[in-house]
Order: sequence, then structure tokens, then C-alpha cells
Amino acid sequence: MSNFRRSQNQSNPNKLNAILSSLIFILILNVSIQIWLLYAALNNALDNNKEILIPAFVASLILFLIGFSWLYYLPKGNFKK
Amino acid sequence: MSKEDNLNKNWKKDFPIEKQLATSVSRRDFAKFLTLVSGGLMVGSGLVAAKAYIYPKEQVEGDHFVCKKDEVPVGGTRAFVIEGSTIPYILIHLENGDFKAYEQKCTHLSCSVFYKPGTGIIHCPCHEGSFDAKTGDVLAGPPPRALPGLDVFFKGNDVYVKAAVQEKNPA
Repeated sequence: MSNFRRSQNQSNPNKLNAILSSLIFILILNVSIQIWLLYAALNNALDNNKEILIPAFVASLILFLIGFSWLYYLPKGNFKK
Repeated sequence: MSKEDNLNKNWKKDFPIEKQLATSVSRRDFAKFLTLVSGGLMVGSGLVAAKAYIYPKEQVEGDHFVCKKDEVPVGGTRAFVIEGSTIPYILIHLENGDFKAYEQKCTHLSCSVFYKPGTGIIHCPCHEGSFDAKTGDVLAGPPPRALPGLDVFFKGNDVYVKAAVQEKNPA
């Protein structure tokens, strides 16, 4: 049976390159936003502004889940068995 | 030792991986590592929130005597700590006659701040941060937050401090 993984494994290396590059680009973007969220949360926690802490954590969690599920699309490479 | 001998050494058979291969990081591994970092940041964010809700910053309770009014000249300062706490504070006698009390720790990296007499500026010498002595707000430099302060009040000639009233913006 043909599935997503099999066709991806058979695809052109150029296509795999594009997939990997955009995947890594989005992961770096997510991590940057998370660093900013952590910095803002820390500053507000020290300033006794608690309202923002939970939303910042939830946003960080969502970004992590996006990155984690994104890994499903990580190409396995053109390995021959 | 000839090159041939070196190649036949036992460790090369035990670990038959070329140096280039051993040190290279594949894009797959890099992407996985980025996700790990992302998870770490998420956990850190959670810890910050948990810390703030479970162990909130302790407020100064009650009134605390600092000194007599005439012990601090105009433009002068006096350092003090509150009993049961290790946070250093400074009492400032401003040129307009007001008394103000702030934490002596810069909000940037906790360096000791000092009052510059005559300027109305509390200065941090470490990274040239400046705070407004009247309000504690940041005027210049890297500090991200205003200096936390205490409310000053008087009983006769005695100067007392108590926890600053939280100014909450009505929503």
C-alpha cells in the first residue's frame, strides 16, 4: 500500500531539501518566539504582573506542539533497503 | 609505525566510523535538537508561571522604623534593611523635601544603585542605568523594570516605611 512516507522517500532530493529547509526554518522561528515569550514572562513575573504568565505558557506549549508534530514530516532520506 | 599498522589497529575495527562521519550533524538531528530546545523553553515558561503562583513574592508587612528625619540631610541617603529580610533598601531625602525608599538592587543585574545628589537620579554604575528618584521609573540604560519602592510616612520626627500600595489599573 502506498502512503505518504513511501512517496516522500521516493521523491527527488531537491524536494527533500526544500522540505527540510522550511521545516528547520519554522522550528527556528518557533524557538525564537518562545525565547521572547520566556523573557517577557520572566520580566512580568518579577514585576508582579501575573496575568500574562499563563497565556505565555500556553502559547509556548502550542508552539512546542506545532514543532513536535511538524517532525512527522521530517524526511527519512532516500534509503535503499 | 607505518600507516598500514595504524589501519590494522584493533580500535579501528571496533569503531569503524570515519572522523568526518562522527562529527557531522545531520539536518534531521538538528531539527530534533531544535524541538528539544523548544520543549525546554516551554518547560521553563511553565516553571516561571508555577513559581509566581505557588511562591509569590513576599510583601513587606507592617510598619518599620528607619531613622529620625534629621539624621538624613537634604540630598542624602541612608541604607537600611527590614527585619527578617535580606533585601537592601535606601532611603533618599530629595531636594524638594520628600523622602523616598527604594530597593537598592538594580532591576537589570542587581548591582547596587546610589542617589546622585542634586540630580534627582538614582544611578547604577554597572551598566549606566538611571532611575527617576521621584517615581523609581527607568530613565536610561538597560534596566527592564522600575525600581520597586516602599511607602514612606512619618510619626512625628521618625521615618517609617511600609509596603507600597499596588497601583492596579482599573480594567
